[in-house]
Amino acid sequence: MGRLLIAFMAIGFLCLLAAGATAAWVMQRNEQHTAWVNHTYEVELGISEASAALERVEAARRGFIISGQPTFLAAYLRFEGDVTRALGHVAALTADNPRQQASIAEARRALAVVAAERAQSVALVQRGRTGEAVAAFSAEATAQPMQHLRRIGAAMLAEERGLLARRDADQRASVTTFYTVLAMAGIILLLVAIIATATVLRYTRELGASRDQLRILNDTLEDQVAERTADLSRANEEIQRFAYIVSHDLRSPLVNVMGFTAELSAATGPLAELVDRAEAAAPDIVTQEARLAAREDLPEAIGFIRTSTQKMDRLINAILKLSREGRRTIAPERIDIAAVADNAVAAIQQVVDARGVTVTVERPMPALVSDRLAIEQILSNLIENATKYLQPGRPGEVAVTASQARGRVIIAVADNGRGIDTRDHQRIFDLFRRSGQQDQPGEGIGLAHVRALAYRLGGTIDVQSSLGEGATFRLNLPAVYQAPQEATA
Amino acid sequence: MNQHQPVGIVMIEDDEGHARLIEKNIRRAGILNDIRHFTDGGSALDFLFNAADGPSKNGPAMILLDLNLPDMSGTDILARIKAPDSALRRAPVVVLTTTDDKVEIQRCYDLGCNVYITKPVDYENFATAIRQLGLFLTVIQVPDVEDAG
Repeated sequence: MGRLLIAFMAIGFLCLLAAGATAAWVMQRNEQHTAWVNHTYEVELGISEASAALERVEAARRGFIISGQPTFLAAYLRFEGDVTRALGHVAALTADNPRQQASIAEARRALAVVAAERAQSVALVQRGRTGEAVAAFSAEATAQPMQHLRRIGAAMLAEERGLLARRDADQRASVTTFYTVLAMAGIILLLVAIIATATVLRYTRELGASRDQLRILNDTLEDQVAERTADLSRANEEIQRFAYIVSHDLRSPLVNVMGFTAELSAATGPLAELVDRAEAAAPDIVTQEARLAAREDLPEAIGFIRTSTQKMDRLINAILKLSREGRRTIAPERIDIAAVADNAVAAIQQVVDARGVTVTVERPMPALVSDRLAIEQILSNLIENATKYLQPGRPGEVAVTASQARGRVIIAVADNGRGIDTRDHQRIFDLFRRSGQQDQPGEGIGLAHVRALAYRLGGTIDVQSSLGEGATFRLNLPAVYQAPQEATA
Repeated sequence: MNQHQPVGIVMIEDDEGHARLIEKNIRRAGILNDIRHFTDGGSALDFLFNAADGPSKNGPAMILLDLNLPDMSGTDILARIKAPDSALRRAPVVVLTTTDDKVEIQRCYDLGCNVYITKPVDYENFATAIRQLGLFLTVIQVPDVEDAG
């Protein structure tokens, strides 16, 4: 849009520039033309002066021949000089025109002839031979040279006139060109102006429309956010309900599987006993298959079924626990984090001592208003984990610290244990996922639970660790729990 | 136990396996009372209130009730049994279900259930719980239905 406008402005300026340049050119042409016109008049004037002088020379000579008065002779001599001067002037003016030059040369030749005749007749009168002079004059009157000179003068005038006419035509042509260029520039300018105005108008309309849209968006933003939040909470609720129903309904058949497996297990006792007795009483009726079935196959199969169903039971319980946690009402209260951490350590003190781990809880700790049960569960999970995954050959040290930053409380549980591979930093928070060597009991539930609780409290949890370097879990919570506005929907 | 008339046990449980395990363990506790098993709420209610040999016509009964039934909610059955005009309103009802949801438990007691037991998934615990329930059944007194009616 902006580029288009700039292009139009550039075109407009170019048109103006062209118009200006043309005007300057036409002005120059005009000046030249005026100079030429003046020149022509000057030449014409020169020619006329030369002709007039020539006529005056003639008249003075006639006067001298007729009257013999010396004043006529003086005039004759003065006018003779005038003719030569005038002719020289014209020759200088028309130096650029070979045709005029030729005419002038012609005129000079004719003039020389005429001047010679005149000089002769004047000389005759001076010597008193007036009669001879008059006769010569009469003979000369009909002679060609003078006529020829007049024609040359006329021709030169005609030549100058012709030049003037051509220059006039040129001038008119250049004026026409100027007006044409001016008109075209005007039309282009007008077009550019129209298009630019249309573009600006459209641009403005679009701007206005987008501004209106923006305002509408802005006005409805809160509604949209509320709507989306409601959608999210609904979806979340649905997932939790789904998890609850699924895990709940899975339990029912599991009760049967576990129950009848136990019954089966109980039934193998008497069976094995029977096989034993039969073997003792009548070894020939006990086959190898029966012995194997009663003593090995059945107990083995039952054992596998049992461990698998027990694991399934634990997993289902974990899902149930998580979904229930999501439905639990959060009851914020003032919590002494250090006391909660101490309690969490005390609850597993025996295990901690057995593992040879020292746990320090740093004091003082910032105040926190949140859900006590959730914090207890988070801390006991994190502390339990910290004391569990040790680096072999290094006595475990766990530090629980807390700090406050801009309305948030950050609780960190740091250990010097075996650490967590950076690739697993996200994964360990997923349900049923664990990291590293699977040498410790566990289902991969604790951290998933911790994260669910952290989210529930409006917080986050992350881990900083690398293999063999220990791990630091940082729980970032709002210092004062704020109930989400749509959570009750 | 009521001395003059044997107390019939009505078990409303949609899962055949559960029913069998419950019966086995009750028997192991030494309970020899008649146990009638129904897998859906409709036929159970029909038996309870209308059958000629059902408890409302005949005599004391106690009810083992599962909440998750195919045709109706166990709480609806509980409400019917404990309704003020019900002949069976004094009959002890033991809710025996997998649900351990607090709200559900409260609701059942509000409706008048006498005992609420969550079925343990672990069979050891399950068997123990049912056997204890059986022992409990041997000592509780069950009011006569006629007395109530």
